[in-house]
Amino acid sequence: MRAVLLIAAKDLRQRLRDRSALVLCFAAPLVISFLMASAFAGAEDLHVTVAVVDEDGADVSAALLATLGSDELADLLTVEAAADRAAAAAAVDDGDADAGLVIPAGFSAAATGGDAAELEVLARPDRTLSATVVRSIAEAVLAEVEATRTAVATALAAGAPLDALDRLAARARSAPDALALAQGELGGRELDLISYYAPGMAVFFALFAVGFTARSWWLEASQGTLDRMRAAPIDPRAVLAGKVLAVFVYTVASLGTVAVATSFAFGAHWGPAPAVAAIVVAMALAATALTALVIALTRTEQQADGLASLLTFALALLGGSFIFVGTAPALLRRLALLTPNGWALRGITDLSTGAPASAAVTPVIAIVAIAAAVAVAAAAVARRRAAA
Amino acid sequence: MPASDAPPVLECRDLVRRFGERTAVDHVSFSVAAGETYGLLGPNGAGKSTTIRLVCGLLARHGGAVRLAGQPIDARHPSAKAVVGYVPQDIALYPDLSAAENLRFFGRLYGLTGATLRGRVEEVLDLVDLADRAGDAVDTFSGGMKRRLNIAAGLLHRPELLVLDEPTVGVDPQSRHAILESVARLGREGMAVLYTTHYMEEAQRLCDRVGIIDHGRLVAEGTHRELVSLVAEQDRIVLGAGGDVGRLAERLERLEGVTGASAGDGTVQVLTTDARRLLPRVLEAAELAGAEVTSVEVVQPDLEAVFLHLTGSALRE
Repeated sequence: MRAVLLIAAKDLRQRLRDRSALVLCFAAPLVISFLMASAFAGAEDLHVTVAVVDEDGADVSAALLATLGSDELADLLTVEAAADRAAAAAAVDDGDADAGLVIPAGFSAAATGGDAAELEVLARPDRTLSATVVRSIAEAVLAEVEATRTAVATALAAGAPLDALDRLAARARSAPDALALAQGELGGRELDLISYYAPGMAVFFALFAVGFTARSWWLEASQGTLDRMRAAPIDPRAVLAGKVLAVFVYTVASLGTVAVATSFAFGAHWGPAPAVAAIVVAMALAATALTALVIALTRTEQQADGLASLLTFALALLGGSFIFVGTAPALLRRLALLTPNGWALRGITDLSTGAPASAAVTPVIAIVAIAAAVAVAAAAVARRRAAA
Repeated sequence: MPASDAPPVLECRDLVRRFGERTAVDHVSFSVAAGETYGLLGPNGAGKSTTIRLVCGLLARHGGAVRLAGQPIDARHPSAKAVVGYVPQDIALYPDLSAAENLRFFGRLYGLTGATLRGRVEEVLDLVDLADRAGDAVDTFSGGMKRRLNIAAGLLHRPELLVLDEPTVGVDPQSRHAILESVARLGREGMAVLYTTHYMEEAQRLCDRVGIIDHGRLVAEGTHRELVSLVAEQDRIVLGAGGDVGRLAERLERLEGVTGASAGDGTVQVLTTDARRLLPRVLEAAELAGAEVTSVEVVQPDLEAVFLHLTGSALRE
């Protein structure tokens, strides 16, 4: 055991002097998680300024303008009147408005008369989302006009008196929707982006420790230090054990540092500390097993580098470090459960949204099971190669 | 000088190691007594390093046994390896750690701690004249300094047997001289040394006994005098020649009085019992063969001649 600790301490000392390793496992996850959360926060807080030209000036265009300027849409839209189409287009081009809406003359007549009522939405190619928002709202208003028109026409066809026209239209407009959707929450707090991307990036960058150690194994083999260690009066297995122990400590330190730093610096929620710690330790075990597998499967520093990089990015993609797996297709969600980092993110996501500490039990068991399976595979490969 | 009545520090018996179909070490047996410097002499690829790796427990044996100070060496008995100080052919040091950090790490692996470790680190740094560079990272050292530190790391725990695998390969003449002096001093101080080399002059200068190894087999062993006696009074004629030296060697081997001929890199070596009488005929044969002879040297019997006599090829082919 003493030799294992000595070798692990030596590896950690070297790692601490390697600036690229420090940046990848400590600084990069902090910076990247903050940047990703900031970038996607822009989509969550979408607000559109729309320049509107009303060349129609009739009932339906007034209704459309009223809808666009309503209190319900105040958080999403700001309506600014433009003198004409050219002024609206200039506002969009200059970036003063995110989108433009031109309501042509005769629009109301066409809408109520059953003809095609056309609106023109102006947008720059890089602001298509803003244009889509404006178009969707306009289509909703037109759909309501169409529904009212259909209801009144149906009533008249059924023999309703003409003098009841206004009353029928008003009733149709005020009728409740046949189907209403309500959004419910499954308890706990809402998952904010930094609370997802902080662990996502932490786990992704911690996986780089696998590559560092596998490369260092083959580097030591080529420079002769591996043989020099094995020539010492120690159990030969202590050399590998020391190296994977260093991966374990390094991964725990990396994940732990990022957890604490993002909590205090960016307000990320990771959940109850003991439960998160259990997931971190399980994830570090998985990293050690992956390291052993990469070493067992390779023969040179270059091979180890290639395989470890492939493994790191594949696990990060499948496990959800880059995309939120909860909204991904079913196949991707299932594949995420084959990865230790997928389970780690799932566990931390649950914990960060208010689930009790016991919610970490299943992810921890799953991660440890995956680590054990990988370790067994690594041992089998190593035995087969030794016998060859 | 070896203590002839002492039990061997190293005893190798019938060592066998194969790599696929190739037998790299083929039933090699030898022993090294306390205070003895034993050289394994052979060309590159002869099996010297593989033999060393078997001795140090770095490779699994396919046959035979190794005993260090009377103890068998295998995976179940790693403590037997404490007897050995291993100095690999490569610079087996961490370039990003300082000289002292490297030595402390390897010293701890051999069980040294505290004041003992600090004392030994200082002693070996003094020994290799690197005490003033103790705190410097190894990657700032010259090649010769790295070689000396490489040897120092093998001496930390005062081994009974120092195993050096071609320690002077790629070393400048000054560092080479310093290394040979250090090894000779350790031998004089009573340490057993196992030294591999393909430099005949190093083996002649350092070793009490030499084992000649070729194609994985130990073809002869003994003191310098004993080995040279194997070629009786044979001289060696070394011709520097241009053209097809292989063909020239074949032609010279057929001459009466020639007991062996071998082509090397621009040279042909001829073994004969009477170089003075044979030399004109050798030159004549070379001329007839169309070879352009650029130099001629007649060498008294030495280990090179022994190797040529025993294997039919030169050490540095």
